[in-house]
This record gives sequence, structure tokens and C-alpha cells, in this order.
Amino acid sequence: MSGPLIVQSDKTLLLEVDHEQADDCRRAIAPFAELERAPEHIHTYRVTPLGLWNARAAGHDAEQVVDALVQYSRYPVPHALLVDIAETMDRYGRLTLTKHPAHGLVLTTTDRPVLEEVLRSKRIAPLVGARIDPDSVAVHPSERGQIKQTLLKLGWPAEDLAGYVDGEAHPIELREDGWSLRAYQKQAVENFWHGGSGVVVLPCGAGKTLVGAGSMAQAKATTLILVTNTVSARQWKHELVKRTSLTEDEIGEYSGTKKEIRPVTIATYQVLTTKRKGVYPHLELFDSRDWGLIVYDEVHLLPAPVFKFTADLQARRRLGLTATLVREDGRESDVFSLIGPKRFDAPWKEIEAQGYIAPADCVEVRVNLTDSERLAYATAETEEKYRFCATTDTKRKVTEALVRRFAGQQILVIGQYIDQLDELGEHLGAPVIKGETSNAQREKLFDAFREGEISVLVVSKVANFSIDLPEATVAIQVSGTFGSRQEEAQRLGRVLRPKADGHQAHFYSVVARDTIDQDFAAHRQRFLAEQGYAYRIMDADELLAGES
Amino acid sequence: MTPEAHSRKEPPAADPAPAAPRSLAEALRARDDASLAALLRARPDLITPVPTDLAQLAARAATRASVVRALERLDRFALQTAQALAVAADPATYDELLGLLAGDGGPEADPVTAEALPRALGTLREQALVWGTDERLRLVRTAREMLAPSPQHPSPTGLGPTVAEATAGMSPGRVQEILTATGLPTTHDAVSAVAALTALFTDRARTSALLATAPAESLDVLSRLVWGPPYGQVTPRPAPHLRWLLDRGLLLPTAPGTVVLPREVALHLRSGHAHRRTEPLPPAVETAATHRPQGVDASAAGQAYTALATIEELLRDWDEGGPLVLRAGGLSVRDLKRTAVALDLPEPAAAFWVELAYAAGLLASDSEVDERYAATPAYDEWRELPPAERWTRLATAWLTATRTPGLVGGRDAKDRTLSALGPGLDRSAAPEVRHRVLELLAALPEGAAPTTESILARLSWERPPRGDRTTGDDLRSRLARWALSEAETLGVTGRGALSAHGRALLGPHPDQSPPPAGPGDKLPVHHRHHRPVHGDPLTAAERTAAASHAARLLAPLLPEPLDHVLLQADLTAVAPGPLERPLAEVLGVLADIESKGGATVYRFTPASVRRALDAGRSAADLHAFLATHSRTPVPQPLSYLIDDVARRHGHLRVGAASAYVRCDDDAVLNEILADKRAASLRLRRLAPTVLAAQTDPASLLDGLRSLGFAPAAESAEGDVLIARAHTHRTPPRTAPAPVPDGPPAPDAALLTAALRAIRAGDLAATAPRKSGGVPATGGELPRTSAAETLATVQAAVLTGGSLWIGYVNAEGAASQRLIAPVRVEGGFVTAYDHTADEVRTYALHRITGVAEPADEQP
Repeated sequence: MSGPLIVQSDKTLLLEVDHEQADDCRRAIAPFAELERAPEHIHTYRVTPLGLWNARAAGHDAEQVVDALVQYSRYPVPHALLVDIAETMDRYGRLTLTKHPAHGLVLTTTDRPVLEEVLRSKRIAPLVGARIDPDSVAVHPSERGQIKQTLLKLGWPAEDLAGYVDGEAHPIELREDGWSLRAYQKQAVENFWHGGSGVVVLPCGAGKTLVGAGSMAQAKATTLILVTNTVSARQWKHELVKRTSLTEDEIGEYSGTKKEIRPVTIATYQVLTTKRKGVYPHLELFDSRDWGLIVYDEVHLLPAPVFKFTADLQARRRLGLTATLVREDGRESDVFSLIGPKRFDAPWKEIEAQGYIAPADCVEVRVNLTDSERLAYATAETEEKYRFCATTDTKRKVTEALVRRFAGQQILVIGQYIDQLDELGEHLGAPVIKGETSNAQREKLFDAFREGEISVLVVSKVANFSIDLPEATVAIQVSGTFGSRQEEAQRLGRVLRPKADGHQAHFYSVVARDTIDQDFAAHRQRFLAEQGYAYRIMDADELLAGES
Repeated sequence: MTPEAHSRKEPPAADPAPAAPRSLAEALRARDDASLAALLRARPDLITPVPTDLAQLAARAATRASVVRALERLDRFALQTAQALAVAADPATYDELLGLLAGDGGPEADPVTAEALPRALGTLREQALVWGTDERLRLVRTAREMLAPSPQHPSPTGLGPTVAEATAGMSPGRVQEILTATGLPTTHDAVSAVAALTALFTDRARTSALLATAPAESLDVLSRLVWGPPYGQVTPRPAPHLRWLLDRGLLLPTAPGTVVLPREVALHLRSGHAHRRTEPLPPAVETAATHRPQGVDASAAGQAYTALATIEELLRDWDEGGPLVLRAGGLSVRDLKRTAVALDLPEPAAAFWVELAYAAGLLASDSEVDERYAATPAYDEWRELPPAERWTRLATAWLTATRTPGLVGGRDAKDRTLSALGPGLDRSAAPEVRHRVLELLAALPEGAAPTTESILARLSWERPPRGDRTTGDDLRSRLARWALSEAETLGVTGRGALSAHGRALLGPHPDQSPPPAGPGDKLPVHHRHHRPVHGDPLTAAERTAAASHAARLLAPLLPEPLDHVLLQADLTAVAPGPLERPLAEVLGVLADIESKGGATVYRFTPASVRRALDAGRSAADLHAFLATHSRTPVPQPLSYLIDDVARRHGHLRVGAASAYVRCDDDAVLNEILADKRAASLRLRRLAPTVLAAQTDPASLLDGLRSLGFAPAAESAEGDVLIARAHTHRTPPRTAPAPVPDGPPAPDAALLTAALRAIRAGDLAATAPRKSGGVPATGGELPRTSAAETLATVQAAVLTGGSLWIGYVNAEGAASQRLIAPVRVEGGFVTAYDHTADEVRTYALHRITGVAEPADEQP
């Protein structure tokens, strides 16, 4: 009786990583438990109703789940918990969404009282049509996502057997000349394709674009790709042309500047959510072609209007890609219910161990405010406090020292506040990329950085995502969007592309001691700490002393 | 050996005395000591107080209260036997009784009942509810009265009165008519006529022949009444098929419009059965699932460990002052809620743990002025016990407690909410039901989990709920359901089956049970010398032995406490199992608990670290502590966190001082500190130029003056206070309002209004009734002595006349009223008030006086 797993009363599962059965156990619990934290010794999984229902959807039954828990558990599993799991899983599939030749989309039940119960709900009533017989009711096809989401909230998830439309066929092949999909990428594509729709979670730099390309090659159909910004759109295009049989002409860009609709169209979230006269004029893009696949890049950033529209796209295959499925607004479950369940998830450290992302040395540099700064900080307005401590002068000195230390390497200086960045840019003699920098200028600077013509780049949060800068090895973060966990992870992601010479990446987060900057930093680091990145803490004085 | 022969050769209670007993007392006298002891054991109320002789014992055994108690404790078959005896002739023979229970087919048709009857009869005899030989079985008269059917108290048998009872008030002529209609010869008197009719109905062949001629509709009517209730309604002019039945005495009228099916006819139609369903055997306990016994034990042990942890957590939560005791006793709903949240449990579960800790003597009210709940010294002793023994302490307390946490949140008979730890939660049947439920579980093979329904059915057979209800909401069924769920929560059972340690708690008896008494049933309900199940059937010594046996079985299953944790860089620590207590205590202070269960996850936060520093630990202590107990190197962020918090901890110091001395010249302060006489001022130097004192400013000034200094007092703003003669002032107060004697003098407006009202009233009183008039004294209140008033009023009551009275109401306002007194009692006059035109009551002492109405005056 000494398995690797400990079942907690709050339905978290603790997996001892160093245990000999840990890998078997991980495989056994992965289908139904969500990996929540993956620090060095003990990984935490959580059993949620959603996870259990996804497991049911993937063909696992309660017995398998109970067996897995009982088999690997170190201590006896509380009976009540097992009963609860069985009961929760039993709720799945009482309701099914199917295609009826005469009535279109139909919600059918095997348990009449359940149907009665959900139909009595105020939120379901507007989504359903006529009662066809005691056990089934018609559903408007456009409400497919909405009703699934609502039923999920009511605790009676519907099994969606209505299938997917194939969409307009378009030949797409991967061109694996001199490269091939990595094992985990293949696995991710396979899991996604088998599941129909869903989210793939891979660390930054682990090649999510290729998972997208692989999925497109599976779908062999017209594809709509939604990305965060124009630079990222260009990178997708570049990558697709390089890796697949697609040509430049087959790929359209739908952004602020260009409005091309081609068999493969890459659109930005920004243009989709542009509102004019109370309507979203560009949302019709979703209907402009018979898309066979929709890819959501950085799905954790999915804006609310797109959420709403995605609900109406339940008949199309959807692939969500992200490195960090944490949303500070807590809408992760909406992502799961609308795009699809998590189909693949790889802990960062695992990919690092396989050598596909660079190992990183994360350091938190603590700077002391000077006495006068402390007084000023103490008297600052609450909303100004973070800005004040995040932009302290000492940070500039530390940043300069770090840039000097890593002279000769490609360095990114990342921050939140434009005046701080401008000042840093001036002192470091480095160009600054911020919101007002034109796309052309941005691309020029990024190219120069990639080529090594510029070794230090100061960037604002515009460079948080999807900017591929393979040779960046050092990132220095001077300020951020308060306590955003995913921003921290994304910024680390900027330096995680494997280096040509295989050496370590460095991530420095400069934090003002004894201020809310430090509290935010602690929160920001949680995601990475849970992924197993151990931050080292360093005193600024130490760093500056080593300098002189 | 047939059952009858068996019962005759070995009558369960009656000695084979030469003469049959003529009374219960005689029957008791004939019993041996062992048999009497069995009676007293079964009905302990008979010896409180100890009766002087057997006659008194017999009399007491026949009292209604005692018989009710005894009947309530019978199993269903014994009760059915008693009910059958109550509808049989008095006395009845064994064969008649068997006929009522097994039906006309007798032992051949229903061998099970025939076999079970001697046992049931034995029980009834043992309990002195039945006496007499098998030829003359007599039910104690009180029991017979209670069980025999009557219109007010229908019997569970559904039988009606006998022909003799039903025809008691009938005219002799009518009886003779019935005889004629049934084809019997008429008789000379009513008694023989009834006897003839009874004989006819008890004769199966003749009655069948009679019924064979009945119209089909008549038979339908009979079949509706046959299983009871036996009463039916008829119209004054019954339909022909009813007429047919009434004519032949197959239905007899009881009251106008009501008819009854006589008992003999009903028994005929039932082929002799007194009950629709005779239940001679206890229903077997069904198995819902069978698990591996090891799995059951492990699961129960896991739960047992949780039980210990939960109790400790509960009392730790209440360590620094538990919740207040309600004035009526018990825990307020809000405190229970808060406790439930703290324990992360639903409220009923929290109530269970609180009650369990209370029952085990681990928590009680502190009986101080502000009464609060707190852990008892016994809790500290309990905590020092090994875990297995800690559990048995809880389990035995649970087993024997009469407190039933399941009731918490419900309402009592007066509709007051029953609160946890409060009054009204004791149910004396609880321990017995718990014990019985566990015994039933113990009778199953190891690892078998029974269905709740079958357990409930079994319990309800053994002790039928009053009124033979089978709805399952009677107290015993609820107790049994609670017992099952509580046993699971406590870890007595695991996955629904009794664990080995749970079995051990019951003591050695279940293992030595005699052969099965029912199908698939390993436990005899009532064998000849069964142990009565009253409360905990174990003696104290047996219980201790059983508990230590259970502890021995449980001990190896409980997880070993660990002495290490795993520290991780995300500022968590995981204890992959229970921790040794000192370690758990320190860690509980140093970090917040994030999740509980088999393991514990702790999270370090600045606040938690500060808490540890506040608790008197230094940063170095904490580093050493973590380094000692971590299996892995202490992550750097954690060391940093501790150092960071420690660096700022205690940076600011706060203390209390009641006055200070400040002086720009530190030499003077040195001088004061050096002066021995200043010791009483309790001065402490905070800074070179500041001293803090524990005495108040006035004494400090005086003290310093006596030392020869000339100190000046300072205001909060630092100004020098000018000393003035000390004058004492209250806070702002308003002057007292004057309290006038009597009502305040009315002002002009009020007077005018009052006068107008009086005139209007007066007009109303006089105008319609010419007889009314102004009082003799004209305008002034009549004044008479109290005695005179009373006499006049009483006289007016007798004559029915009217009076003027002067009356001062509660506000002190005086008025004159014309009243017609109706009644004088208790210092009050009830009268018709002409002035107000309604009946009012006046206090005699408020009547200033009375006067005759004017026109009656001479």
C-alpha cells in the first residue's frame, strides 16, 4: 500500500513524481484529472466534473476512474468520493444532441425526469424549440454551443453526437523536408483530431504553430486562423508557407490593413472585435467560407465577442492553442466548453527535458527603494502605487548592469510603462517597440534583432505573444500588467526557443522590495513556479556589487 | 416432533403443575426463579419499586402502562400472536391460536408459522402477557382490551366484533328472523340464537354452502370488507344484494347506516387467518455488495483516521475560546455554520463531530459567566493516547450515547429548533438501535454491505413501530439510518460493510451465535435465553476488552506519522501522510493548510510566516526547522520569504504607557532614573529625552514634585496645561422634566374640545333615552365610599337598573358614565355603558362614586 498517488478530500490528487509508478499513474489519471501544478516533487491534479465528463466523452467509464484511483492511491480512498465520482460521471450522456433527419438538431434523453428538469430551467427555455416526443425536443442549430454550455452549468452535460461539417475541402500537406513533427506534436494532433475539437496546451517555443499546421494537414479543408496581432499573423503565414504545401497565394491576411479571404485565412482578434455602430462588421468572416477548421491561437486571450460567436460555430472543428490556460477572469471553463476540452497538455519541464525548449534560469532581482522613494511610495494614491514602485530609478541601474553583464547576447527588456521604457531605451541606446510603433517598423526591428544587428531591444507588452525571436537569450522584465500569471509565462516564453548552441536562457524579473510590486511578482510567478521553474532571488546590491 | 408436541412437552414458561393456574398471579407463582428473572429482565419497570409479593407483581404486570411498554417491545410475530389471541375466544386453545395464525390449513399448510409459534408464545408467556396451559391460553386482560378490535381502535388484524358482540343490542325478534333466513330453526331465547348463528359461521362447510347461494354482488361487498376495515355504510333502504347479506346476518348493523362484517364471517372468508400477512420469520438482511475484507478494513481505517483528524481540528479551532453557549443551551445555528465552514464539511456532518466530541467528554461548556464551549482536560489526555485507542474512545462513546446528532436542525414538539449540543437530542433508543444495526452487519459474511431497506425491514420486524406503520419515518428507522451513515463516517464500517475493528467493538458474542433462525440469517432474534437488547448489552469490563481488541486490530491499519515534508519552490510543502504532532503543530502555524486528506498541502505566505514569528520563533529557528524536516533542500524563495518577513518583523514596537516625562536635558532624566524614590513611578527610558511611566499623569506629577522637580503637565498637542483647582463635571446633561401630580392642567383649546366631546356624549346618552339624566351632584363626580359603591353596584346588578358613576381611567382622566351593571366580580364591574353604547369593564377601585340617575331620584 504505497502507491504514488494521494487522494485529498477536496478532490485534488497529489502525485509523487519520484515514485517508480509515477509514470503509470500519470497515464492512468490523465484522462480525467486536470494537471494543476507541476513543481519539483509533487504534482497536483484536480478532479472536476468537467474533467470527468470529458473522460466520459473520450470513452472512459466510472469504473476505470475508480480503479485508477484505488490502484495507485497510497491511502484508502474515501468511499464518499468514489461514489461522488461515479454519480457525477453518470450524469453525462443522459442527454444527447443528435441530428434528426426531419427535425434537425434534437436534444434526446434516456431519463425523462432529467429532460423535464432542464426544460424547466429559465436559461434552457429560450434555446429549445418544439417538443417532438416525451423524450426529445428540437434545438435551434445556432444554439448548439449555447445549450451545451448552459446544460454544462446545470450539471447535465449533453453528449454531442451531431458531428462536424467537413467544410470546403482544400489540399494541405505537411512538407517534412529535413524536419518532422516531434513526438509530442504528433500526439497533440492525433488527440485533437480524434476528439474533434479541443485545446492543445504546449509551452511557449514548443512549436504550437506546427500543431496547427499538422491539424490542417489532417483536416485538408479551408481553415480560418485567429491570432493576436498582425506580426503574429505574418509569422503564421511565413511558417505555413515554409512547412506545408500551401503557397503564399493560398493564404490570406485579414487584418486592419488587408482584408483578404483565401482558402486559409489568418485574422486578428482585434479586427474581429472592431465594433462599428454597435455591430461587429467583421464577424461575418466566420460565415464567409465553409471553413472546415478554425484555429484559435493564444486561446487564453480569446475576447468575449469571439466567445459568443464561437458558441454558434459548434458544427465546425475548433482547435485552441495556448501555452498558459490561465485567465485572470476565470473563464477557463468557457474555453473548455466552447472550443472543446483540453486534448493535450505537456508540462513545460517535460518538453525542456526533451530538449525542445531551452532551460531557463529565472531570477528575481530585488531592488530597494531609496528613502525618498519610500516616502513617496507611502504617500502615493492607491492606483498609482504599482506604477510608482515598478518604475523606480534603481531598476534602471539594475537593468543597465544586467545588460552589461550579458553584453554580446541578444537581450530583450520588457516593461509595462512607456515612459520607463523610453528612458531605458535612451540609457541603453536601444530601440523601443511600443503600441505606437508601426507594423513595418516593428518587423524591421525584429528582423534586425534576429539578424543580430541589434543586440538589445526594449519592448512593451505588444511583444508579449507570438513573437518569434529565436536568438533572444536574456529577458529582463522591469514591470508588468500587475499580477498576470500568463504574461509572466509568455514573457519567459520569448527566450525559450532552443538556442543554436544549446545554452541556457536567462529571465530576470526586477522587483521593488517591500512594495506591492513584490506581491504582484509573487502572484505572477505562481504559474511558472507550478510548472517547476524555481525562481532564484537576488539582491540588487549583490548584483551591482558584482558589477563594480 | 411436531411443533405442538414440542410446545406441550416443554411449555416455555408454565411448569407442568398438576392444577392449571386460575390467575396470572398463580401462573407466576408456579414459575421458577430463572423464568421470573427473565420476566423482570424483559420488563424492568415491574421492579421499580420492588413489589411486595407475586400478587402485586401480577397486578403491576397487568397495568396499562406496563402492558403498553411490554407490547411495544415485542417482535412482529409475537405481537401478531398476541393480536390473534385477542380476537380468539378467551381462553383459547393452542390449536385455535395456531389456526388463526397458520390458517385453516394448519401446520401442514404453513409449517413455518407452526414452527415459530411456540417461540412467540414462549416470549409472551415469559413476559407475563399470556398465562395458562396450552388448553386454556389467556391473554392478560389489559392486553386483550388494548388489542381486541373496537370501532374506536381498529385492530391491525382488520377484524370486526364477534356475532355475539354485534348482536348485543339487537331485538330478539330480529335475531330470530336472521336464524330463519339462514335456514336455522328458531330458538326460545336470544342467547341460544346467537350461539346457533356463531356455530353456523364458524362451521366452514355450512357457511360455504350458505355463501354459495349468495348473489355475486353480495360477495363483492364481502370481499371489500374482509381484510378490514370491517365497517361499511348502507342507505336506509339497502340495495337487494346488501339486503341479502343483512337478512342472513353476514353483515350486522352497528349504528344507523353502518354495518359490520362479523369476525366469524371474516375469518371464514380469510380461511382462518387473523392477519393478511403472518410474518413468523424475521426478514433476512440482504447484501447489496461484497467487497474484499481488506479493502473494507483499509477504507474504514482511512475514515477512522479522518475522524481523529476532524475532532482534533474541531477542538483546535475552538482552542482559543469556542462558541458561546445559547441561553437555552447548545450551539447557535450561526456557530454551527461557522464550524462547518472551518471544517469544510456540510452542517449535519459538523453537528455529528461536535456531538461526538461532546459524547466522548472531549468538549463541554466552561460554566463561566460568559459560557463558552471548550475542550476538556480529558481532551488533552485523549490526545496523548495512541491513534487506535483514540479512535476506540470515540467509537465506544458513539455506540453508547443517547444523543442523536441526526436530529440537529429539526424541531421539537414545541416547534423549537433543536441545536447541536443543546437539550432535546437524547433518544434512549439510540444506543440499542445502533448496537442492533451493527449486530446485523456483523451477522453478514465479512466484507458484505447490506441494503439499508433490508436493515430497516428487519428492525421494524423486531420492534414494529406503533400503529404498524411501515412508512420508514418512525424514530427507530431514522435512528437506524443515522446509525448506518454515522458508522461509515466514523470508520466503524468501510464501504458499507462492517470492518474487523468495528466487529471487535461489539464484543465476542456475535461469533458464538447459535444456528440460523431464518433464511440466510445468522442471528437468532429471540432464543430461549437471549440477552435482552437494552442499551449496550456489554458490561463495562467487556466493553473495555472489546475496545482494546478493536484498537489492536485498527492500529496496524492507521498510517504511521511522518517526520518530514517535501518543500517545493512554489512555496508549498506537502506532507505525504499524517505528520508527527509537534511537526504538524509548528507547520500549522508557519503555513496555511491548502488541502487535506491523506496528505496535507501547506502554503507559505508572508502572513503565515509572520504568524510563526509572532508565535515567538526566530528566523533562524524556522530555517533550522525546515532544514531538519525537509527531505529536499529548502528552496531559495522560501528562505528568502522567511528572511524578508523576519527582517521587517518587530521593526515597529508597540507598548502601553500611561504617562511620559520629557526633558531636553538628558542629565535630568538620568537623575530621575537614578533616584530610588522614583521606582514607584515605574519609569522606562524610551529615548535619551523621553521616559515612559506606568502611573497616571497626576501621580507622576505628584511623584516628581515630591522628588523636588517642578514638572508641568502637557496637553495632547504639547502645550503646557495651566493647573486649576480641580472641579469635577458631569458630561452634558439636560435638566429633569417636571413630574406633575395627576394629569397636566388642560389648556384652553383642549378644554373646549373636551367640553364639546362631553356635551356630544351627554346628548347621545340622554336624547334617545328619556329615562337618562344628569347625576344628582350635577357636573361633579359622584363620590361615595368604597363599601357604598360596591353595595349600590351589586344592588343595580340585581335590579337591572342604571347608575351614574364617576370613573378615573388608567391615564388619570376622570369622567362620568351612565352604566347598567351586569356582573360584579374580582374587583371589576362589567356593565353596559350607555355613554359609549357598549359593554365595558370597570375596575371597582377606580370608581370614585355612584349616583342614582336623576329621574329615579325622588
